[in-house]
Amino acid sequence: MKDVIKEKEEQAKAAAAEDEDEEKIKTIDEVSETESPTSSDSEGDDKSQFIACALNIDIALIFPIREEASLYTFHIFISLVINTVRCEMLRRMPKHSASELSLNKDLPMKMIRRKSLSQLTFRGLKKEEIQQRNYLTLINMTIEELYIELLYVIIHNVGHCNVSFEIGETALFSYIQDAFKISNEKHQELYDVASKKEPPNMLLNVEVIEAKDLAPKDPNGLADPYVTLYLDSSTSRRYNSSVKQTTLNPTWEEHFALPIDENAADDTLHIEVWDFDPAETVGEKFGKFVNVKGVKGIRRLVKEIAVTATTGQHNNELIGRAQIPLSAIPATGMKMWYSLDKKNKVTRQGVIKLRLGFSSEKNSKVATQEHRHLLRILLLHELETSKVAPYWWCGTFSPQAESLITQHVAQSGLCPVDTALSQWIVYTNIHKTHPLSYDLFASILEKLVKPVQTGLLSEEDQKLFWNATHRLLPSCYAMIRKIRKTNFKEKNALKQISRVLSILGTICVLDSSENIHKDLVEAIRKGAKDWFDHLLENNTVEDDSDDAKLKCLVKIVQLVRTDLQKAVEYYDKMFQEQVNFQYARNLYNIYQKKLTELVKPDVEEICTTMAKMPHIGYQNYSQVDTSQPLTIGTTLFELYLYLQRFVVLGDGLCPFEYDSFEIKDFHVWFYSGVAQWLNIAFYKALQRIDKAVGLDQLIPVDNTVKYSSSAIDSISIFYQIKIFWRELNWPDVEGCYTFIAKIIDDICRCLVHYATQMAKAVEGMGDKQDMYEKKFEVTQEWCLAINNIDYVLQSLVPFTVELGMEDILEKLSELNSPLEAQRCQQTLETVIANSVDTVKNEIFNLLDVVASKMCPSMKRLLVEGAELFHQDCNSVDRVMMYLDNNLHTLHDQLNEENFNRILDIIWDYLNDILLDLIKTNLEKRRPPSFFANLLETLKLMKSSFRLNSNCECDKLKKTERLLYLNGLETPDLIHQVHLDLWKEQKSTEEPSFGQLTVKMKFQGDELKVEILNAKNLVPMDSNGSSDSFVRVHLLPEEMFTNISKPKTQTQHKTLFPLFDESFTLKLSPEQRNRPDGLVLFSCKDYDMLDYDMLGYNNQYIGEALVHFKDVPNGSGSVSSLPQMSLELRRPQTLGMHTFKDVPNGSGSVSSLPQMSLELRRPQTLETDALKALEFRQGDKQAKEFLRRYKMKMAITKS
Amino acid sequence: MRPTNKNTMLKVVILGDGGVGKSCLMNRFVSNHFDEHSFHTIGVEFLNKDIEIDGETYTLQIWDTAGQERFKTLRTPFYRGSDICLLTYAVDDKVSFRNLSMWKNEFLYYADVKEHLHFPFIVVGNKSDISNEEREVSQIELESWCNENGICNCIETSAKNASNVQEAFKMAVQYWLKAESRADKNEYSCNDTIDLTKKSGESRSSCCIGATEE
Repeated sequence: MKDVIKEKEEQAKAAAAEDEDEEKIKTIDEVSETESPTSSDSEGDDKSQFIACALNIDIALIFPIREEASLYTFHIFISLVINTVRCEMLRRMPKHSASELSLNKDLPMKMIRRKSLSQLTFRGLKKEEIQQRNYLTLINMTIEELYIELLYVIIHNVGHCNVSFEIGETALFSYIQDAFKISNEKHQELYDVASKKEPPNMLLNVEVIEAKDLAPKDPNGLADPYVTLYLDSSTSRRYNSSVKQTTLNPTWEEHFALPIDENAADDTLHIEVWDFDPAETVGEKFGKFVNVKGVKGIRRLVKEIAVTATTGQHNNELIGRAQIPLSAIPATGMKMWYSLDKKNKVTRQGVIKLRLGFSSEKNSKVATQEHRHLLRILLLHELETSKVAPYWWCGTFSPQAESLITQHVAQSGLCPVDTALSQWIVYTNIHKTHPLSYDLFASILEKLVKPVQTGLLSEEDQKLFWNATHRLLPSCYAMIRKIRKTNFKEKNALKQISRVLSILGTICVLDSSENIHKDLVEAIRKGAKDWFDHLLENNTVEDDSDDAKLKCLVKIVQLVRTDLQKAVEYYDKMFQEQVNFQYARNLYNIYQKKLTELVKPDVEEICTTMAKMPHIGYQNYSQVDTSQPLTIGTTLFELYLYLQRFVVLGDGLCPFEYDSFEIKDFHVWFYSGVAQWLNIAFYKALQRIDKAVGLDQLIPVDNTVKYSSSAIDSISIFYQIKIFWRELNWPDVEGCYTFIAKIIDDICRCLVHYATQMAKAVEGMGDKQDMYEKKFEVTQEWCLAINNIDYVLQSLVPFTVELGMEDILEKLSELNSPLEAQRCQQTLETVIANSVDTVKNEIFNLLDVVASKMCPSMKRLLVEGAELFHQDCNSVDRVMMYLDNNLHTLHDQLNEENFNRILDIIWDYLNDILLDLIKTNLEKRRPPSFFANLLETLKLMKSSFRLNSNCECDKLKKTERLLYLNGLETPDLIHQVHLDLWKEQKSTEEPSFGQLTVKMKFQGDELKVEILNAKNLVPMDSNGSSDSFVRVHLLPEEMFTNISKPKTQTQHKTLFPLFDESFTLKLSPEQRNRPDGLVLFSCKDYDMLDYDMLGYNNQYIGEALVHFKDVPNGSGSVSSLPQMSLELRRPQTLGMHTFKDVPNGSGSVSSLPQMSLELRRPQTLETDALKALEFRQGDKQAKEFLRRYKMKMAITKS
Repeated sequence: MRPTNKNTMLKVVILGDGGVGKSCLMNRFVSNHFDEHSFHTIGVEFLNKDIEIDGETYTLQIWDTAGQERFKTLRTPFYRGSDICLLTYAVDDKVSFRNLSMWKNEFLYYADVKEHLHFPFIVVGNKSDISNEEREVSQIELESWCNENGICNCIETSAKNASNVQEAFKMAVQYWLKAESRADKNEYSCNDTIDLTKKSGESRSSCCIGATEE
C-alpha cells in the first residue's frame, strides 16, 4: 500500500468557502482500500471527481462542528494541518494571566483550555468568524503546512533530557522527511520557512501539588504555608499560591503557567514556601474572604493578599526554597518531590511535590487537530516501515516518531487527555484498515474513562470520543463473534479477548444505555449461530442413511460441547469479570435450543423406524445379521451419551434455567430406541457367548482358578451390559426399574444360553472306545464346563446389585409408594430367583450327564466285582481305579459344592445300579454270596470315597441293607427277621394280645428264666377264655439246637394265668455270648379237644422277644430274678421293653424288676428281610419259616 | 439340595387396557388375594405359579404389564419369548374391549412369535361380578370378536370373587398344550405337503366361554 499524495485543485462551491476561494485546496488522496469514499453530501457534478477519490472518513473526526462541516464535506480528507492564519491568530492571542490561572486551583487545566476560542472574542472578532477561520485552518491544512509545523517543532525543541535531544535534529529531519515523503528540495524549502518563523511562546506549567514535613514557624507549632514561584529570568514576576492555614502538610493542587523564552534551557525555576503571617492588614483582607463570592472574587482577594505579601508589608517568614533548572525538565513533563532548603540551615525544611511541564499557547483545537494528523501520518509510516502484523501494534513508535510526538505535545500545550483522545480517534480510525493491538486501546481508554465520566470533555470532544468509540466497537464485536477462531492455547490471543472485553466493559460503564450490552449479547449470539451454521455446513450427511445422519449429529454435539467447554475454561471468567456477562451460560442456552431443534426430530424419527425393524428371533439369533441395526443402535447410543454429557454440563452451568431447557428431557426422544438397544445388547451378548464358548480351550485361565476363558468372557459380556446401563443413566425412575427388569431377564437368558452352549461344547468329550469296550473318563473339560457355568451363575446376584437395583427401588419408593416399590422388588427378585434356579438345574443336568456317562463302566465293573470277588481281586481294583481316577479329576477340578453335588449324583446312580443288579440277580436266583460280594465291593468303595462325608443318602443305606440281607445265609436271614421283629416291638404302639410278666438273668453261662404270669390275654376259645402256656425259645435256632425249649404248665380257662415257674437253661459260653441272641416267649392256647395229632393244634396267641443284651447279669436265687412283663405280640408287632434302666445284675434277683412284655403277632411281610427270604424259593428252611410266619399272620387277620 | 423342579416353564403375558384388572387377576391366581385399591403397575410385574394339568406340573412365569400408554415402550420388550398371551378387558368397559385388537397387534408386533395363527391367545373378560346394568360388553359380542379374530378361547372372570380365575389360566395352558402338539405334529409331517384339512378344522373350533367351569 502506498500513499500517493496528490495536490488537487478544487473549486469550492459552498458559500462559506467563497471567502477564500483564491486559496488552493490541497487534499491528500489516500489510496487505501479500506477508507472508502464518503458521499454524504454529493451535490454538484464537479464534485464527482473529488468524490471519486474522497475517502470514507468519519466526518465527525475531521469536523468537530458537524453542522458547519456539512458545507465542506465534499472536500474533505484526512490530513490537513497548520496554516499561517493559525499562526497569526496564535500570535495575536493574549497571554494568560498567570496569577489568574494560579487561582483556578479547582479547575484542571483542560477546563481552562476550553475557553481558548471564546477568549478570542475580546480581540473584536465575532465568535462565528473565529470558528469559521478555525475551521478553515483545519480544512485547509496541507501536508506541507503540517510538515513545516513539525520542522518548527523540531527546531524549537523543548525539554533537554529526553529522547529527541539525544537523537538530534538531523535524524529527526530525515525521519519526518521519510514519513512525509518530502523531496530534499522541498524539505529545504519548507525548512527555510519553518526556521524563519518566530520561536513559539512556550509556557512552563507548574502544578503545586502538596508539601510535607514543613518546618513549623508559628507559635502553635504549625504554619500557614503558601508557595511563591518565579523564574530566574524574571524575578519580578512572582506567582503565589493560596495560603493553607495551620498545617505542615498542605495540599494546594494549583496550576501556574510561567512564560519562558528561547533561552529557557539556562533558566531556573525558584520555589519558595512561606509562612503566612496573619498581620492585621492581611488579616482584614482575609476577613473578607468569607464574604467574597465567585471565583473571580476569590482570585482578586488572594491576589491582593499576595501583593501584600510580596511587597513585604508583613512579617512573612520563609520556610524553605528549591531551585529547579529548566533543562532538567523533560519535554514530556514530570512529577517530583523537591526538598526545601534554607540558606543558613542544614536541616531540611520540608519537601514539596510539583508537576512540571512545557506547553505552548497554541490554539488547542488546532493543536489537537494537528496532533491527530501527525499521529496518523506517523503511524501509517510506522506501520508501513515496520510491517507490524495486524493486532500487534501497541503504541510504540520509533524513537524519532516518539520524540516528534512528544515535542509536538509539549509545544502545542496538549494535556494528557487531549493526547489520549487524539490517539483514541486516530487509532480507532486506522484500526479499521490495519488492526492495532487491543492492549493499546484498552490503555488509552483507561486514560479517558475519568474525563468522559466526569464530563470534563467538551461536548465536541465527547462526540468525537463516541464516534471513535463506535468505530472501534464493530471490530470488538467481530472479535467476540469470531472468538472461536482465536487460538485459545496462545496466551496472547486470550489476552486480546480479555482486552477487548475490558474495552467493552469500560465502554459499557461509560455508556449508560444498554446498547453496548445488547450489542455484545447479539454479537455472541451471532457468533454462536454463525459457528453453529458453520458446523452444519461442514458436517453434511454423506449419504442418506440413518447412520450417517446420526454420526453427523454426534459430531456436531461433540463439537458444540467442546466449544462450550472452551468457553467455560477460557472465556467465561473473563466475560464475567470484564463485562459482567454470563458467557458460558448464555452460550449454553443458545446451543441447547439449536441442538434441540436439530437433533430431536431426527432422533425421534430414527427411533420410531428402528422400532419398526423386524424383530430377530430368539431361536435363530445366530443367523440374523445384527450388524445393521447394531451400528445404528450403537451410533444412536453414542449420540445419547454425548447429549447426556451436554445436558450434565448444562445442569452445572445453569442451575437456575436448567429446568426450562427443553434439552433436559432429551432422553424422551430416545424412548422407543431403548427397547431396541436392550434387544441389540441381548443379541450381541448371545452372539458373543457363542463366540466365547467357541474360543474356549477349556483350560483354566491360570493355576489358581478352576474355570476357563469363556466364563471370564461371559462375565465381561454382562459387564458390558452393565456399563451400557450405567452410561445410559436413564433419568426416569419407572423406566429404570422396567429396563432393569428387562436387563436381568435378558442376562438370565444369556446365562441359561451359556449353560446350554457349554454343555454342547463338552458333549462327547471323554468318550473312549477301544476294541473291547466303550468307556467314559471324566475330563478336565467337563469339570471346567461345570465350573464355568457355576462361576458365571455366582456373578449374577452381585451383577444385579451393581446394576443399582437397590437404589432404583429406593427411588421408586420415594416417588410412588413403598408398597409399589416392594412389588417391584418382588418382581426383580422372582426374576433373579427363577434364573438362578434354571441355571442350577442346568448345572445339575450337566453333572447328571457326567454321572450317567460313568454308569455303564461302573455297572460293568460292579458286576464283575460281584462275580469274581473272591477269585480275582483285580476286578475290584479296576472298579476302584475307575472311580478313583474320575472322582479324583472331579475333586481336583470342581469346586467343593459341585463336587459334593456330583458325588451325590454318582452315589445316586450307583444306588440305582445296585438296585438294578439286586433285582436282576435275585430273579436269576443268584446265591447269597453274590450279594455278599457285591456288598463287600460296595463297602470297599464307600470306605474309599466317602471317608470324609457322613451324609450318605438313605437310599444307599437301604440298598446296602438289601445287599446285606440278600447276602445272608438263610438261618441268618431268619434270625434277622426275628431281630427286626424285636426292634419293631420296641417302637410299635399296636395293641397287644396280652402281657407276660417274667424275670430273667444270666448267672454265669446259665440263663435263669422265671415266668410269673400273663395278663389280658386275648380269648382264643369259644368260651371267651384261653388255656394258655408259654414256651421259651432261644434264637437263632441253629445256635441253640442242643438246648431244650422249656414250656410252662397250661393254665386253663383264664385270661390271667399265673404260671410262676422257673427254668434254668445251661448254655455254652459261646452261646451265652452270642451278641444278637434272642429269647422268644411264645404264648399258645392249648387245644385239647381236637387236632391233637396234628401237632399244630395249639393256637398261637402271641409272642414276645427279649434280646440277650437286655437280660441282666447276676448271681443269686431264681426268686431274685428281675421280673419282666412282656407284651405278647405276634410277628411285626412285638412289644418290648428296653432294660436300660435295669441294674445289671450283681444285686439279688428278687430286687430285680419284673419285665412286663407285651405279646404281639407278626403283621407284615413287607420287610426287606422277609422279601429276601421270599426270593429263596428253593430254600426249604426259608420256605418253612415263611409258611409259619404267614400262619401267625393269618391268625391275626382272622 | 438338588432342585427337583423340572417342570415345564411357560411364559405368560397379560395384556389389556389400564384398569381392567390385570394385576388383580394375577394376584388372585398366584396368591389368591384381592386388593380393592391396588396401584397401577409400573412397567411390568412378574410372578411364578405352578399349575397342575393332567398330572403334569407347569410353572407359569407370569408377566403382568402396565396398560397405560406411557408405559408402552417399557412393556413391549417383555413380549418376546412368550408362550401364552392373555388379552384382558373389563366387561364394564367397552373401550377396553375395543382395544383388544390393538393389544393383540401390539403383542404380535413385538413378541417373537413363530406362528401368528396358532399362538395361544386367551381373551379374558374381567370384572364379571358387576351387575347387569353396569355391563357394557355382552358374551355374544365377546364370542363374535373371538370368532372374527380366530381366537377360540375366551372366558369371563372376576378377580374380586375369584370366579374362573384358575380356570382361565388352566385353559391357557391347555390351549398351549394343544398348540404345541399341533406344532410338533407339523414338524413331523412332511413340510412339502400342504395340509388342507387343517384350516377347515380350525374354523370349526368354537368359542367356549367358561368351558372349564366345573
